[in-house]
Amino acid sequence: MEPKEAPGKENMGTKKKNLPFLRPRLYMLERRKTDTVVESSVPGDHSGTLRRSQSDRSEYNQKLQEKMTPQAGCSTAETLTQEDEHQIQRMMAKRAKIIKELIQTEKDYLNDLELCVREVVQPLRNKQVDRLDVDSLFSNIESVHQISAKLLSLLEEATTDVEPAMQVIGEVFLQIKGPLEDIYKIYCYHHDEAHSVLESYEKEEELKQHLSLCIQSLKGKPNLLDMGSLMIKPIQRVMKYPLLLCELRNSTPSSHPDFQALEDAYAAVKHINVNINELKRRKDLVLKYKKNDEEESLKDKLSKLNIHSISKKSKRVTNHLKILTRGESQVKDNTFNREEKLFRSLEKTVRHCVKNISSCLQHVQDAMPLALQSMMELQEISHNKDEEESSYSESPSNAPNPSEDFAAHLQKLVLTPLSALLSLFPGPQKLIQKRYDKLLDYNSYLQRAAADESDLAKREYEALNAQLVEELQVFNLAARKILLNCLCSFVTLLRDLMIVAQRVHTTTVPVPQLASSISEIQNRVLEEVQNLNFVKDNSATFIERKLSFEKKKPVQTLPEVPRQTDTHRSKLLSTYSTEALYQAKRKCNATQEYDINLLEGELVAVIEQKDPLGSTSRWLVDTGIIKGYVYSSFLKPYNPARVQKVDAENRFCDDDFDNISLFVSSRPARDSVAGTPEGSISGSSSSLSGTCGKSETNGTDADSLQEADEQIFYAVHAFQARSDHELSLQEYQRVHILRFCDLSGNKEWWLAEVQGQKGYVPANYLGKMTYA
Amino acid sequence: MPGSRPIPLPCRLEEQTKRLQKDMKKSTDADLAMSKSAVKISLDLLSNPLCEQDQDFLNMVTALDTAMKRMDAFNQEKVNQIQKTVIEPLKKFGSVFPSLNMAVKRREQALQDYRRLQAKVEKYEEKEKTGPVLAKLHQAREELRPVRDDFEAKNKQLLDEMPRFYNSRLDYFQPSFESLIRAQVVYYSEMHKIFGDLTQQLDQPGCPDEQRERENEARLSELRALSIVADD
Repeated sequence: MEPKEAPGKENMGTKKKNLPFLRPRLYMLERRKTDTVVESSVPGDHSGTLRRSQSDRSEYNQKLQEKMTPQAGCSTAETLTQEDEHQIQRMMAKRAKIIKELIQTEKDYLNDLELCVREVVQPLRNKQVDRLDVDSLFSNIESVHQISAKLLSLLEEATTDVEPAMQVIGEVFLQIKGPLEDIYKIYCYHHDEAHSVLESYEKEEELKQHLSLCIQSLKGKPNLLDMGSLMIKPIQRVMKYPLLLCELRNSTPSSHPDFQALEDAYAAVKHINVNINELKRRKDLVLKYKKNDEEESLKDKLSKLNIHSISKKSKRVTNHLKILTRGESQVKDNTFNREEKLFRSLEKTVRHCVKNISSCLQHVQDAMPLALQSMMELQEISHNKDEEESSYSESPSNAPNPSEDFAAHLQKLVLTPLSALLSLFPGPQKLIQKRYDKLLDYNSYLQRAAADESDLAKREYEALNAQLVEELQVFNLAARKILLNCLCSFVTLLRDLMIVAQRVHTTTVPVPQLASSISEIQNRVLEEVQNLNFVKDNSATFIERKLSFEKKKPVQTLPEVPRQTDTHRSKLLSTYSTEALYQAKRKCNATQEYDINLLEGELVAVIEQKDPLGSTSRWLVDTGIIKGYVYSSFLKPYNPARVQKVDAENRFCDDDFDNISLFVSSRPARDSVAGTPEGSISGSSSSLSGTCGKSETNGTDADSLQEADEQIFYAVHAFQARSDHELSLQEYQRVHILRFCDLSGNKEWWLAEVQGQKGYVPANYLGKMTYA
Repeated sequence: MPGSRPIPLPCRLEEQTKRLQKDMKKSTDADLAMSKSAVKISLDLLSNPLCEQDQDFLNMVTALDTAMKRMDAFNQEKVNQIQKTVIEPLKKFGSVFPSLNMAVKRREQALQDYRRLQAKVEKYEEKEKTGPVLAKLHQAREELRPVRDDFEAKNKQLLDEMPRFYNSRLDYFQPSFESLIRAQVVYYSEMHKIFGDLTQQLDQPGCPDEQRERENEARLSELRALSIVADD
């Protein structure tokens, strides 16, 4: 607020330069026609000034005359003193008038404010109209009213019942300057927006109605014709104080005690105005750049591209490169650099924290319920439901999931604030970038020593810089506090989570003090289990158990009968034709005389398909060792191809022994103990084929026919083998089926052969090939 | 028909065992993932340039990092313990099932044979008692006998042993269960201690949640009031 009395060249210059930023009402003094009271004093003011200079001159004359005519000093002195006396009197009179005016105007102002608050602001507030935000229109007008009242009372106190010669007005202002500045700063800061808000409201019919209603209640005072003039009153008032004080000071004789105080008060009030201005300017600057970045569409951006902007941007790029290559720029602000670095580190920290803590939370939420669940399952399996239901069943299922609580609190105390904080970073970041651009501009102008431009650039840069430095410090401090708070909360929450989890687990079962190690107990149990016969029978291991033989059933001693060996088999094969060869499906015990015992899978050659009694169900067979009778139902035709199958199965079985415990020996221990000399493999092979034979007898006779035919199938779909035992098939590939079941009798998997490879394939992938 | 009484198969037990094994694996994996992500938090914080600029922050983060690493170590130990005392035994127990299933199957097959031959015998018994018929009958009976014995042996065996197996699970798994509980309790109490100590060590011990929340809000509003912050 440049007062008219101080026409510095500089000020004129600034006025011109600040035109883009200027809002006329604030930056330029407006004397409204309605302010009649003050205006009348203007000529008085001038006359006062004139008089003052006159009295200066007369004083100077006096001194000169004194020097020149010391003799005539007394008389002139007398006249001068008289004049002085007049002077002083006139000044005091003027002073009294001004003071009166000051008080009067303050009173009027206060009245207007009161009216405004009573008739406009409060009714509007009480009405609570939607979309009519009274605060944005009038911000802190109540506080303005208050301070004005205070000022008035102070002024009155200083002037009533006090000698004019003792009245000290300056002190009043000095007293009140602090709160005055703060309150008016706020009001002025918001006045701008208030004005645009008002304009937007005026556009809406309904709101306009409300507003005009209030205005009417002001009873048409000449200077309160509309809302705008009402809102601007405080602004006008605060600009008036320097003027008034200046006038007052000018009409105060230097001998008056108030003189010095007035000087100070005047300076203070001027200072207030300057600050308010500066604040406004900074805000404008910031807004200008923020708006640029946010609200531009591509079209806007393109339309802004003109020679000027392009040259500006290219200059900046060059300067930026210059700095990068040559090092330091001429203009540096270490404080800013420090703050900016801090700012960046904080941003990175907050960003990482949000990400990592969220993912940790996710994992906690996954892990805890799973742990509880598996614990419950294990409890179920290890306890007999009937017995100890009451004591144990309640706690785990009813235990509140500790992670839910944790999650909710974490969200509230840590993640939400940190995310909110994170979202606040981009704004300042943009401004920092702008400041850097301004810095580059300024640098370039400095280097080229272009005075005017550099001046503007300098001021822009400095304004932004000052703003940023000041506010970044606040920002960084607050951000750091939030971050630390959140980290502390996080740790506390973790601790609480652990407490809860511990409690949950403790309630489930009283933790026993186990002396013996768990593995001992379990191994013992496992051994007991594995000594059960069905396990032994069917287990894959041939290792004889050293322990707990007492549990085993008494081994049935076998009559020492020589078993069939390979040589015998080959002898049979060579002696007899294929049709005569049969294989024992299962172990046959000799029951009648001339019967022979057969083991599963043993090869026999049928000599006669009937017995002495003529029954065809009992056949005479040759085992290579002995001849005798066997029931035909125990025999099945021997298929040389099956031998290969068996061998193939042996290959698989070798693996199977390790991974899948398929039963191998059909009888406990006997086969392995008194096994065929071929070793376990052929024993296993015989039993395997025997098993298959068994499973085949479960089916119909058609099955055996199928086996004999070895039907050819083809793969309806392609099949991908998932293990060594399986065979990959291509679509429509022909396959040879060797067996229509797998080793455990599962009819869904068939043993197939393709190009020399053997493996299991799913039966439903295969289709029968019909020959034309 | 002989052997018509079905054996109550504890197939649920097998299913339970398998499912439990899977779930325990999932649980231990999730636990490990959690402690790994916790360590990541403190690692990232440590590698942040803020640590160079701010001594207090560095101290805090170092303490946090130590705590997280200890958490990870304890967690790993817990998982190992669980692996040893729960998951491995589960596997071993589960390996018995194939044998059991096989034995059941074989009994089933024996039953089928038995029934078939029994039917045959009965068929002959119903026929006229002629010479050949008698001979056939005799043979059929002879055929039947070993098969029946076989079936009955199998049946008895299973009837006897399956309940024993089934019951053995109680003794078998009880120690596992107790071990699991103990491992969890030990882990959580250690963690509680670690984080309790950490809380004491960091700034502002004993600051209640509401106060923290309020302070955060106050700071955030302070920040939002700054002109350099975008007011969207």
